[in-house]
Amino acid sequence: MVDFSNHPEMKGFFAPTRFEADVYDCEVTGKIPSDLNGAFVRLGGDWLYPPKFEDDSPFSMDGYINMFRFKNGIVDYKGRWVKTPRYKADLAAHKQLFGKYRNPFTDDASVHNLDRSVQNTTPLCFAGKLFTLKEDSLPYEIDPKTLETIGPYDFHGKYKSLTFTAHPKVDPVTGDMICYGYEATGLETRDVFLYTIDKTGHVKREVRFQVPYVAMVHDIGLTQKHVLIPVYGFVSSMERLKEGKVHWGWDNTKPAYVGIIPRDGEAKDIRWFKGPSRAPVHTLNARTEGEKVILEAAIYDGNPFPFFPPIDGSPWDPTKARAYIRRNTFNLASKDDGFTEEKLFEMNVSDLGRVDDRYLSLPYRYAFTAYGDKQRPFDQWKAGNLGGRVNNCYGRFDLATGKMSSYFAGDTHSLQEVCFVPRKNGAEGEGYVIGVASNYAEMRSELIIADAQHLEDGDVARVLLPFRATAQVHGRWMNEDELPFA
Amino acid sequence: MLTRRDFVAKLAVAGAGLGAICAARGAGLSVDAAPDAPTTRREVVSFHMDRPYIDRTGTAMPYYPPRGARSAEPAARLSEESFRRIQCYA
Repeated sequence: MVDFSNHPEMKGFFAPTRFEADVYDCEVTGKIPSDLNGAFVRLGGDWLYPPKFEDDSPFSMDGYINMFRFKNGIVDYKGRWVKTPRYKADLAAHKQLFGKYRNPFTDDASVHNLDRSVQNTTPLCFAGKLFTLKEDSLPYEIDPKTLETIGPYDFHGKYKSLTFTAHPKVDPVTGDMICYGYEATGLETRDVFLYTIDKTGHVKREVRFQVPYVAMVHDIGLTQKHVLIPVYGFVSSMERLKEGKVHWGWDNTKPAYVGIIPRDGEAKDIRWFKGPSRAPVHTLNARTEGEKVILEAAIYDGNPFPFFPPIDGSPWDPTKARAYIRRNTFNLASKDDGFTEEKLFEMNVSDLGRVDDRYLSLPYRYAFTAYGDKQRPFDQWKAGNLGGRVNNCYGRFDLATGKMSSYFAGDTHSLQEVCFVPRKNGAEGEGYVIGVASNYAEMRSELIIADAQHLEDGDVARVLLPFRATAQVHGRWMNEDELPFA
Repeated sequence: MLTRRDFVAKLAVAGAGLGAICAARGAGLSVDAAPDAPTTRREVVSFHMDRPYIDRTGTAMPYYPPRGARSAEPAARLSEESFRRIQCYA
């Protein structure tokens, strides 16, 4: 029997949804732009069964992929569980068999040899295929017509790492995908395998190296000449796994490293720079300018995740869980292994920022991300009291001028990760800002579409779902010509 | 013989009955004949700083149930840590 009553926090908008859905010809307010043809694909998690341990990470939720399919001004919605071996085993047993986040020692004995990945982080469109990504396993291929799960994918047998990042980078100039796996040869190994895969899906290049300590390597930076590999305080060890803890703990004493390797370099060419303890969980963009390599990201002051607690037993510090758009500059000409850090905007923002992907690895001007503006109204009589914990705006941050323009979602809404959809043949930043808003008054999800150059004018259209869509970690826009959609 | 004790008791009963009749008629008259005139002020439930209170003067705006699902309300009592456990990215 399914029973979530031991989880009083999973109520109202935050209750599991646990269903698959198709909505044809969704209700729309405003007008869908005629040049939006393709799909907004979202990946996140939902609990099929309650977690086995109350202190487990929400990143253990079962993967759920969903898609807003845009075609000639009409939008259809489809949502499906990612049907991993783990999902199937739980469903067959009618209970949660898997234990804490990335800790197989806490699993039921019946599933010890099973792939325990939940596939809940990032959707990827590459080489004409649709994938789900979770950094503890290989990608899973998904049928873009039905969203049914096909299974793990190893790029024609040439991708040898046991794991695959949730944040591969596709070079807009060459079409190559730069990707990697960490803990590449097994749990608690320092091994990283870095790959270049051509646009047809064939591995061109592999480099194997080790990071300074076992750590979460969630995202990287890419320039036309270099790959940047941030390593910071989320640490792990076989001992902590055997003690029954979640995979990651936070070690405030660990310096943040950034490894920089030439894209045509070997393991011996990596240079490790060292800075203060920070958490650059997600990057915005990077570029190489002469002897300088520049990384921009919304970087946390400290540990943003209370479910990966400090290893010294101290309480989690919410004042450090704030992200600011920062610029890190690395001087390759200097013998100093430090780097400079600038705070570009003095406002706390979501670290799930995006840029115009046509400018990834290149000089660029605009970044987009969500943030909470406490000066805007929030109608708690309609929506409930969130205690001010709401991301009610999307911002376009002009890194050249330091100015910011803003879209406000409404006084009963909170916004999930932003996505930028460029207008065909448009200049940088011309296009649409899209993302899903939680409407707490109507208890439903709405896909927001706004003109990225006129955010203050409000949205040009909203796609209204008659229910809550599962919580998103990451979403990606995929053009009509990239995948064989239905 | 009418004792003083009986007189007081009967007077009290008669007075209560008369008062009830007057009150009923008075309330009716005030509504029918003079809708804008001050009426008997009734206690209303109102809110101040997100907390309910009974306004015995009857001058506050009455409480109306909130519109909307208020589906974020389960998060109201959660600490920052507990909130992030369910809502770290959504």
